[in-house]
Amino acid sequence: MTRPSGLVMYAIFYLAFLYLPVLLLPLFSFNDGTIVAFPIKGWTLEWYRQLGGQDTLLQALVNSLFVGFVSAVMATSMGLFAARAYVRYRFRGQEASEALVMLPLVIPGIIVASSMLVLFISMGLKPSLTAVMLGHTFLALPFSVSIMKSAFDDFDVSLEEAAYDLGSGVVETFRRVTLPIVAPGIVSSLLVTFTVSFDEFVLAFFLSGNQPTLPVYIWSQIRFPAKLPNTLALGSLLLLASVLLLVVAEYFRRRSTKSTL
Amino acid sequence: MTETNIIQLQGIEKRFGKFVAVSDLSLDLREGEFFSLLGPSGCGKTTALRMIAGFQEPTEGKVLIDGQDMEGMPANKRPTNMVFQSYAIFPHLNVGNNVAYGLRNRGISKSEIDTRVKEALEMVELGGLEARGANELSGGQRQRVALARALVMRPKVLLLDEPLSALDKKLREQMQFEMRHLQQSLGITFVMVTHDQYEAMTMSDRIGVMFDGRLVQVDTPQTLYAKPGSREVASFIGEMNFLPAEVTAETGDTFSISTPGFGAMKIEANPNVARHGRHISVGIRPEQLEIARHKPDGYDGTVQGVVRDVAFYGENVHYHVGVEGLDKPIAASVPNYFHTVDHAPGDKVWLGVQAASVIDLGEDKQTS
Ligand SMILES: Nc1ncnc2c1ncn2[C@@H]1O[C@H](COP(=O)(O)OP(=O)(O)OP(=O)(O)O)[C@@H](O)[C@H]1O
Ligand SMILES: [Mg+2]
Repeated sequence: MTRPSGLVMYAIFYLAFLYLPVLLLPLFSFNDGTIVAFPIKGWTLEWYRQLGGQDTLLQALVNSLFVGFVSAVMATSMGLFAARAYVRYRFRGQEASEALVMLPLVIPGIIVASSMLVLFISMGLKPSLTAVMLGHTFLALPFSVSIMKSAFDDFDVSLEEAAYDLGSGVVETFRRVTLPIVAPGIVSSLLVTFTVSFDEFVLAFFLSGNQPTLPVYIWSQIRFPAKLPNTLALGSLLLLASVLLLVVAEYFRRRSTKSTL
Repeated sequence: MTETNIIQLQGIEKRFGKFVAVSDLSLDLREGEFFSLLGPSGCGKTTALRMIAGFQEPTEGKVLIDGQDMEGMPANKRPTNMVFQSYAIFPHLNVGNNVAYGLRNRGISKSEIDTRVKEALEMVELGGLEARGANELSGGQRQRVALARALVMRPKVLLLDEPLSALDKKLREQMQFEMRHLQQSLGITFVMVTHDQYEAMTMSDRIGVMFDGRLVQVDTPQTLYAKPGSREVASFIGEMNFLPAEVTAETGDTFSISTPGFGAMKIEANPNVARHGRHISVGIRPEQLEIARHKPDGYDGTVQGVVRDVAFYGENVHYHVGVEGLDKPIAASVPNYFHTVDHAPGDKVWLGVQAASVIDLGEDKQTS
């Protein structure tokens, strides 16, 4: 055993700084008291139990699931075709186009949100779940494109050529060969893009109007001290769901890179 | 044109931008022959094959299959099938479904598909492996599945892109014979691309040699070996000693030549060579040379030299013999009849050759 070097200490400290506050959320969600402070008064599941009875919360959850589902499907289907083109072909403007697709990762959310709001309103689209779906599709696209690109990277081109050579047309080849082989990548992309949408706050806050998604609902509840423990419980559940989804997504992404070897 | 030419390539050319990958290639392939396109890496073999398959359209010229112009005919409509270098076995399908893949595009009844898949798998000695997963196959088995999947379609022409290059040496040699037998018993035209001269020689009826996008010679393996049309071909196929020679007299199909070392000889003119001049190149295969301690009798040309290197290959022994007046040593190869290596570096030896073994390679570009 060597003594932990400075770098290791730094890494441990860094991770603790990053994740310990996140762990406080579930911790206090079991606290039998409305004030979020140590010491813990006692353990309870009351806050979780109360969640079930709140209609506006359930409506927000349904909104979020719906928006997440639609955005995931839209982003993934666009990402699928875009990624195939990026990996398979060399065309003019390719780099510019790829950079453009990745842009949402680096533009500040507030800028995207406010410009989308202006754009949608000027197009006659009122703030609504539809507006949020469009916004989230845009935000999720870079994730979908990069996941699908890695799925196509490991995909031998001659598989599609073989299908074609054996008499399949373009559509048949896509349906019988391309799609099944990249299927794990598609599942992974669906899960990740769903998570991106499900957790997103800024865009949803600007664009959802009077149909709040779950994060927007949580934000609205934080102002009421009495509701805080409920919010903590809800937040913990969201955290758990996101982690689970991402773990499953990673499992599928790895499977997709293995299956074509 | 006779109907027995299953494929006719008429002056095809393929350019990628300014780069010419295949230039002015004309070739007639006979029905039922095993034809190989042989050439070094990057010479355009795969590109030529892909133009026949329909994956690439020629920039110039025509591809005719069974007399029909293939222009604008996509790969999925051509009467050819391909075995890919990577085999391209569909990873999500089992062996049976891989082989059945193409038949399912043809609206054939399920029971007939099953019978044909079964036959095809038996043909490549994989009978009963229908349910095996694609990822549970060895390299040799993948190759057989790829063959079965293409042959089950009963193509007029089977195209093979380096089909054996992914296999180890033993398996490769075994598959060479199996594929040759399969081709002969089915009577289907095979067009194979390879950079391995031994593979091409052992399997093919005819070989087309390509360099830099050009088809330089088409002949049977024996002719290619005995009468190569140029120095390039001669050195690509097998080993060859090159000697400069001066033509002293020419009578019909025979030349009187004089070479440094071996002296004066009368050799036959090579009909595959395009141009002759006063100075020509001649070639001698290492195994056609006799090597002996004393001047051997009954040879048309003899020369004395000193052994430089000895290489023991098992089935034969290679000697490099330095000869005065030649800048490169002459290679001689002797079959290992008696498990002895008779000469050592530094030994004085004689080399002997028959005039019939001296190959005229045409104008010597180095000296004239
Ligand atoms: N799609 C393409 N775009 C541009 N250049 C290409 C393309 N396909 C092939 N080439 C070029 O054409 C030349 C011939 O390629 P080809 O694949 O036919 O060679 P090959 O004889 O099959 O070589 P190898 O033995 O390495 O497979 C190469 O220099 C290659 O770089
Ligand atoms: Mg090739």
